[in-house]
Amino acid sequence: MSRGSILVLLLATLLGLSGCGAYPADPEGTLDRVRGGTLRVGASLNGDWVAVPTSGGDTSDRNVRDSDVQGKDAELVRGFAEQLGADVEWVAGTEQVLAEELKHGGLDLVIGGLDDKTPWTTHAGLTRPYAESKDDRGKLRKHVMLVPLGENAFLLELDRYLMAAKESS
Amino acid sequence: MTNVKSSSDAIRFGHTKLPAEQQKALRQAIRIEWITMGFLAVTATLVFLVLGNSQAMKAAWIEDLLSFLPPVSFLVAARIIRKPPSEDHPYGYHRSTGVAHVVAAVALTVMGGYLLVESALGLLKAEHPTIGGISLFGTTIWLGWLMMGVMILTAAPPVVLGRMKMKLAEQLHDKVLYADADMNKADWMTAVAAVAGVAGIGFGLWWADYTAALIISTSILRDGIRNTKGAVSALMDKRAMTYDDREPHPLGEKLDDYLRNLDWTVDAKSRIRDEGHVFHVESFVVPAGSSVPTLAQLEAARDACVAMDWKVQDMVIVPVAELPSEFVPGPTSGGER
Repeated sequence: MSRGSILVLLLATLLGLSGCGAYPADPEGTLDRVRGGTLRVGASLNGDWVAVPTSGGDTSDRNVRDSDVQGKDAELVRGFAEQLGADVEWVAGTEQVLAEELKHGGLDLVIGGLDDKTPWTTHAGLTRPYAESKDDRGKLRKHVMLVPLGENAFLLELDRYLMAAKESS
Repeated sequence: MTNVKSSSDAIRFGHTKLPAEQQKALRQAIRIEWITMGFLAVTATLVFLVLGNSQAMKAAWIEDLLSFLPPVSFLVAARIIRKPPSEDHPYGYHRSTGVAHVVAAVALTVMGGYLLVESALGLLKAEHPTIGGISLFGTTIWLGWLMMGVMILTAAPPVVLGRMKMKLAEQLHDKVLYADADMNKADWMTAVAAVAGVAGIGFGLWWADYTAALIISTSILRDGIRNTKGAVSALMDKRAMTYDDREPHPLGEKLDDYLRNLDWTVDAKSRIRDEGHVFHVESFVVPAGSSVPTLAQLEAARDACVAMDWKVQDMVIVPVAELPSEFVPGPTSGGER
């Protein structure tokens, strides 16, 4: 069989599969797990975008209460979780710690006023830019969130939510 | 198209005046190569816009960019070979075609190898390709659909262009044009592979993308190696082959037959090198009775050979007592090897 016919056959098989399930699908099933379940969100402090007021309580616990996390990014995440009927489990940390955690499947989403020039593209996928701001040097920053690599159904769902939120704002 | 002067001004390859058929073929080839470049510019832009994180799409895009090399080489060479031979370049500028061919072939090989390694590493590291949404006309759709759409749109035209160029490559005896046509003809497979890769991502089969990228980069690498071989051996003065490098060019046999059957010769053998479009021929002839042929006999034989085919123009006939096997190796007298 020639290379050409193998390719056509492969394509036909793939298209034949399209009967089953959502398209695009998540290799690790993130969207299905989160829907009606728990959305694990890593929050990295960053000005107006993610803020956690110091409570003076037990700071050794990385998990923070839902009501503690504030900021524009946090509000968007709450709205997204509500749309999916999911509870939010917050984890505070530095970008480094959270990106590693996301890469190894410990988190579903990382926020922190990140922009599309984020260096974490080897660890995570990026959403579409949902907001813009100017930094202190007058440079335009396009804000994104980090999602697990290759979880495309989850990413598309989030992108749709973020775009709709951007339109209505 | 601007390189073609008015039709009354006959096109020459060096000092060779092209027959009408080849002149027409050259004009068509130049026009088709310009069309190819226009098409590639559109394709490469479209593919770049929807590139995303797919390795297969990246491989297809780089192949599009590399596809510029053969047409550019052809168009540049088609200008340079028109220069007549000069004191510094007594053999003319025909080799520029061969140089262009080597440059294009090496670029293909290097990029093919690079993409192959990159795709294999991606597969080993199991980096799941991430493709999200894109906002179009107020709705957010999966970017993968756009990728597949673009690849399907751009699959067919190169095949048509490739077939047209293939015919012209034969008429012009142009190996760069042949290599270009050959690549174009196989281009639809790249498109189908990229579509399959992206469709696979959609089904949650993250490895489909890398597999498709591996197939595409293997085909680029294969094109590169084959072309490098062909181009280098042509520059190494390999015996003249047909335009597709499949068999020795029949012209050699034809010339030898003619020279052998002249009434003043008993044997003849030629060595021919392919300068790009035209052949340089050195024919050794053994005169009958070991007598020295007259200048008129030699001139007449040479004129007859040049008249046989437009590719023969630079020809020397050397009368010898016996065929020098160190210059014309292989079986003599009608032997085919």
